[in-house]
Amino acid sequence: MLRRTVLAASALLAASALVLTACSGGAAPTPTTTGKPDPDASVAIRLVLEPGNLDIRETAGAALDQILVDNIYQGLVARTPQQEIVPALASDWTVSPDGLTYTFTLREDVTFHDGQELTPQDVVWSLTTRKNTPEWRDSSRLANVTSIAADGQDIVLTLSEPDSSLLWNLTGRAGLVLKEGDDVDYKTKANGTGPFILDSWRQGDSITFSRNDSYWGEPAQVAEIVFDYIPDNQAALNAALAGEVDVVTGFDANLKEQIEGSGDFQLVLGQSTDKGVLAFNQTSGPLSDKRVRQAIRQAIDHDAFVEALASGETLYGPIPALDPGHEDLSDVAPYDPEAAQALLEEAGVEDLQLTLTIPNFYATTIPQILVSDLNEVGITLKVESVDFSTWLNDVYINKDYDLSFVLHTEARDFENWANPDYYFTYDNPKVQELFAQSLAATDEAEAAGLLAKAARIVSEDAAGDWLYSGASVVAVGTNITGMPSINVNERLNLAEIAKSNG
Amino acid sequence: MIRYTLTRFGLLLLGLFVASVLIFTTLRVLPGDIAQLIAGTGSTPEQIAGIRERLGLNQPLPLQYLDWIGGVFRGDLGSSLLTGKSVVSELAEKSEVTVPLGILSLIIAVVISVPLGVLSAMRRGRADGTALSVGAQTLAAVPVVWAGMMLVVVFAVWLGWLPAQGFPRAGWSDPWAAFRALLLPALTIGIVEGAMLLRFVRSATLQAVGQDFVRTAAAKGLTRNSALLRHGLPVVGLSIITVLGLQVAGIIVGAVVIEELFSLPGIGRMLVTDVGARDLPKVQGELLALTGFVLIVGFVVDLVHRILDPRQREAA
Repeated sequence: MLRRTVLAASALLAASALVLTACSGGAAPTPTTTGKPDPDASVAIRLVLEPGNLDIRETAGAALDQILVDNIYQGLVARTPQQEIVPALASDWTVSPDGLTYTFTLREDVTFHDGQELTPQDVVWSLTTRKNTPEWRDSSRLANVTSIAADGQDIVLTLSEPDSSLLWNLTGRAGLVLKEGDDVDYKTKANGTGPFILDSWRQGDSITFSRNDSYWGEPAQVAEIVFDYIPDNQAALNAALAGEVDVVTGFDANLKEQIEGSGDFQLVLGQSTDKGVLAFNQTSGPLSDKRVRQAIRQAIDHDAFVEALASGETLYGPIPALDPGHEDLSDVAPYDPEAAQALLEEAGVEDLQLTLTIPNFYATTIPQILVSDLNEVGITLKVESVDFSTWLNDVYINKDYDLSFVLHTEARDFENWANPDYYFTYDNPKVQELFAQSLAATDEAEAAGLLAKAARIVSEDAAGDWLYSGASVVAVGTNITGMPSINVNERLNLAEIAKSNG
Repeated sequence: MIRYTLTRFGLLLLGLFVASVLIFTTLRVLPGDIAQLIAGTGSTPEQIAGIRERLGLNQPLPLQYLDWIGGVFRGDLGSSLLTGKSVVSELAEKSEVTVPLGILSLIIAVVISVPLGVLSAMRRGRADGTALSVGAQTLAAVPVVWAGMMLVVVFAVWLGWLPAQGFPRAGWSDPWAAFRALLLPALTIGIVEGAMLLRFVRSATLQAVGQDFVRTAAAKGLTRNSALLRHGLPVVGLSIITVLGLQVAGIIVGAVVIEELFSLPGIGRMLVTDVGARDLPKVQGELLALTGFVLIVGFVVDLVHRILDPRQREAA
């Protein structure tokens, strides 16, 4: 008997070694509604990925930015879903003609959620600490800033050289303003200046925000937001049909008819900066030959991904349509299995066997398409589905892989192609130079032009492949207005969401 | 009996020790660590090293093990590297979902399996007995996930009687809502586990029918069925208690799957999340608590079996 219980116990151990939840992309906008917004309403929003903790200073992951930035924490400037830069805690700002001095005017009468006042010194302290603490996220994005000082309500940033990405960076983690010397337990609590207050976090279940009634701007139009973490799309569909959630983000566009069938939801597809990146480890072996990489790209039928996901669009270069520097690069790697075979022959490669390392929360259709497309041209693809920690360790840190697939959701992340140490293992000095020039440009159009040039080279070098550009797939209740639809995976600004009883 | 108890208890402690070593070492084999996960993509090796240092992941493994096991003896299972919350308090919070879920599942499984199992044995060879037996065989082969999805579609989506997922945020302060939230998940586990149990009850009953003392009772004038009910069932009951002990482990594994499916904030879902996050102090605390529970149940079942079974009592 005892032996059997030991066996049962070890079976339990083994079972728990299996792992992990799912994640995907998502977003939603604003259908029409007839009823009046209810200021006491509570809106339940399904999200996919729950943050491990809420430490906005240090913990990586879009799951934190998605809900905490804009809603709870704010910076001097913010970005709209359309990716425009707009005032936030600064009412206004100016940039000197040489691009070396940024002067922000800080709003007055702003308070933190715990009632403490926001002072210019808080801003100086937040930015300085961010810059000087490497463990804090995006600390290096302030590398060009040489001095951060307050002059009355003015905050002055001085740079060592122009940085066309500085304002953009200030809309993200690098620019968030915290209270100096705050003793809040950032891992499980929050204290910001945004339109919502963190009310509670029921780990493994939900996070609840309540309206900040002493918000400096327009107060939120709902009393409460509940983020329900439901990893499985089918479970999310059931929850929606049973009336348990008002909005479903990260949804599967293939379930459009099921969710719209009830008449209570509308499926909305928004643009996103999600890039399905197929990375090539090009340091050695057959993949160091550009012809082999190009052959793989041309062997892949990119339209098949868009069709299988029932959302998104094709993407043939590193910059998605929402980001500056995007251009249509479909001419660089058109689908042509015969050309692919010819390239492989030319490179003298036969019976190529490759392994694809892919985190296990992505749809299995992605590796399936790749396996069959590559098989067509004589490449045998073995799929290794791993949990995200394993991917981070093997692929990201140790660069121990042939091919890797990950959905890169970050906006404006071209820098990874200009960083030879990144797991993409792509090293082209010309691209690095163009990227540096685009950063140093003081004119936005000029910066974008330089990026576009660099992106074309990256694509022509077949430095990687871009299987698709994802869409934000969101199902929105017909009584909900003001739900953003663009890039909802990355940022979910809920300042304008409203719910009517009608 | 005392000697027997002491031996079994010694074996229990040994089992717990072996489990703790196994848990600790197997988790260290997992690739990747929490510092990498906190730092995420876009991090540098220096950043990761900094976080690793701060979390104490650089200490030698034997030292980490002693640290942990020393705490266990003081009733301290450590605390989460991500949130800093103590594992014991997290387990206590999540068991508000998992323990009632397990008990409810067990009750459902027993209520289904015992009467139907005995019935199907007594009706062996007849149409209804065969139908029961085939039905149980089929149900036992059904994957828990599929059973759960079907139940949700019928009772939550079509009929709207029960919630499709989640647990009320107010918890057990609204007992009716909490109970309703657990009913479908418990039914899912209970039906599948119950079907397996039913087959066991049936074969145990059939075995009892063939026993000498049942035949003797029948020879003394009892009908076959009443001989079975009066003299055979106590023996069947004993076997069921033994199997229930094993079933507890099955229910815990079922809870891991079902809590994911129904988005219930219980121990199973927490465990899956923590393994993914490589929050090892939490994972090893949770696993030790769960395996410890299963081992203790096994120990208790052995003792109860011993006490209830007169043949074993005399042998001792």
